[in-house]
Amino acid sequence: MERTANIDLAAWRSSPAALATSRQLSTRVFAGILIACACLSALLASWLPLQVSVVTVFLFAGPHNWFELRYFLMRMPVRFGRSRNFFVIAFAGIGFLTLAYVSLPLLNAFSLWPDNVWPTILASWNTLLLLWLGLLVGLRGRQKPKRDWSWAIPSSLGLCSLNWLAPEFFSLAIVYLHPLVALWFLDRHLRRRRPAWLRAYRVCLGLLPLLLIGMFWQLTRTPALADDNGLFWRITQHAGAQLLPNISSHALVAVHVFLEMLHYGVWLIALPLIAPLAKPATGRLSPAARKRARVWDVSSVPLARHPRGFPTLVTIALAFGVFLVAILWFGFSVDYVTTRDVYFTVAIAHVLAEAPFLLKMI
Amino acid sequence: MKPFFSLCILCLLLAAAMPTYGDIARRSPSPEKPRIVLHTSLTIVPDSKAYEGRLQISQGSLQELRAALANTPTNESMAQRIAHSSTRTMLAGLFMFLSLSFAGVWLARSVQARGQKAVAALLIGTAIVGAAAIIARANAGPPGSYLWRKLPQNLSKGAPTYGGIDIEIVPDANEGPGIKLIIPMRPER
Repeated sequence: MERTANIDLAAWRSSPAALATSRQLSTRVFAGILIACACLSALLASWLPLQVSVVTVFLFAGPHNWFELRYFLMRMPVRFGRSRNFFVIAFAGIGFLTLAYVSLPLLNAFSLWPDNVWPTILASWNTLLLLWLGLLVGLRGRQKPKRDWSWAIPSSLGLCSLNWLAPEFFSLAIVYLHPLVALWFLDRHLRRRRPAWLRAYRVCLGLLPLLLIGMFWQLTRTPALADDNGLFWRITQHAGAQLLPNISSHALVAVHVFLEMLHYGVWLIALPLIAPLAKPATGRLSPAARKRARVWDVSSVPLARHPRGFPTLVTIALAFGVFLVAILWFGFSVDYVTTRDVYFTVAIAHVLAEAPFLLKMI
Repeated sequence: MKPFFSLCILCLLLAAAMPTYGDIARRSPSPEKPRIVLHTSLTIVPDSKAYEGRLQISQGSLQELRAALANTPTNESMAQRIAHSSTRTMLAGLFMFLSLSFAGVWLARSVQARGQKAVAALLIGTAIVGAAAIIARANAGPPGSYLWRKLPQNLSKGAPTYGGIDIEIVPDANEGPGIKLIIPMRPER
């Protein structure tokens, strides 16, 4: 029986010798690229927040989900082994919470409950999410006997309490915090693949609050964005303009778009690029390694490559993902507003899926 | 590291040079005059047996008030939102209680003996400060009649009087239309 840890090692960890010789991209250049990308994103998001939001979601929302799917498949063990309970609860939670989240607006459309009950329903869903996360952290903690993860229970209960005080604000916090999870993935990934870059990366992360403060400082005094059409109104509402009326919607949308751009950047550029950049500086990749470096190559996924793996299932999943991305682009082209609403509702699944896979990396 | 820092400074400068129109100050809001939404009658009744001040609003006046407020934009604060949902407040309290209980058990198990004393002192201190805050801010103050006792003198002086009040909705048949303010007043001996 193959364990998760073995798959992780095989799929992502380079040998120390390879890491020592792989210095194709220096740490300074890496840090410079990160800072330049972050500043450029902040500039674009501050300059034309609504337009940039429309364009980035159109172009990158679907593909970044496909890359996440592929990443999760890469991280999936062939046999669950000791992690059986963890993965069963993780997938059950993802399925149930996603179905519940998607069904809420549908049920609300039929006016099954008065408007004033909506915050209570929202708080109930958030509570289930927090309890699920607490349970996952607890299960993961059991696999780490050297660490005490019991704090997860009081933490999740404390967050539940805050959630019941202001459920709308709690949901808004998820909107803003979710993009940052990608940065945590990158941190864990760098720790395994490019430890030499980790320090520079964390220094760059320290600049992120400065950028956010700078954006708020510049934009909170600007007039609110003109959300006079349905699309722009939805974008400002998504960023919390209604919940935070004392903050300029320009600042809110700009910050949200900036974080989304970082999120897309990590999943679409940073994480896929790290593997090819880790090739030995002395020469070329071996044919097998080059083959594995291609993102569309199914055999690069351990779950498909393993003798006891599921190559057909992985191929179908990735192909179906490509199909969904094409459908999403088609939908955006035909009716952007509706497709955007549907996308951000269904996309809760990928938000939820990030939690167990991130926990497995910690 | 010099080129790296130069690049950092350049990028920060670029970020700081974000839209210049961001510096245009907003117009200072002019103070809004209070708007009369309803005219009704008010009866003030001293009551020697009352413990707390009561504002009785008849059903009819309440409906008129609701109708008048229907067109008034509302912008509830966070405290108002919480105060208007007792179920959510109770659940928040329940989860907070559970959270603190589990946190206490976790701290007691994880921290060493010497640390336990410090944690216990911290928790007791927090509880005392919390209780003091509750007493200061909530309904643990003196009885309503005490706060209202200087109302006659203050009225003759033209000075304001501060006191708590309960708002009641009473049927029209009992008291007739309008609003009645019952002030707890103890007769002077």
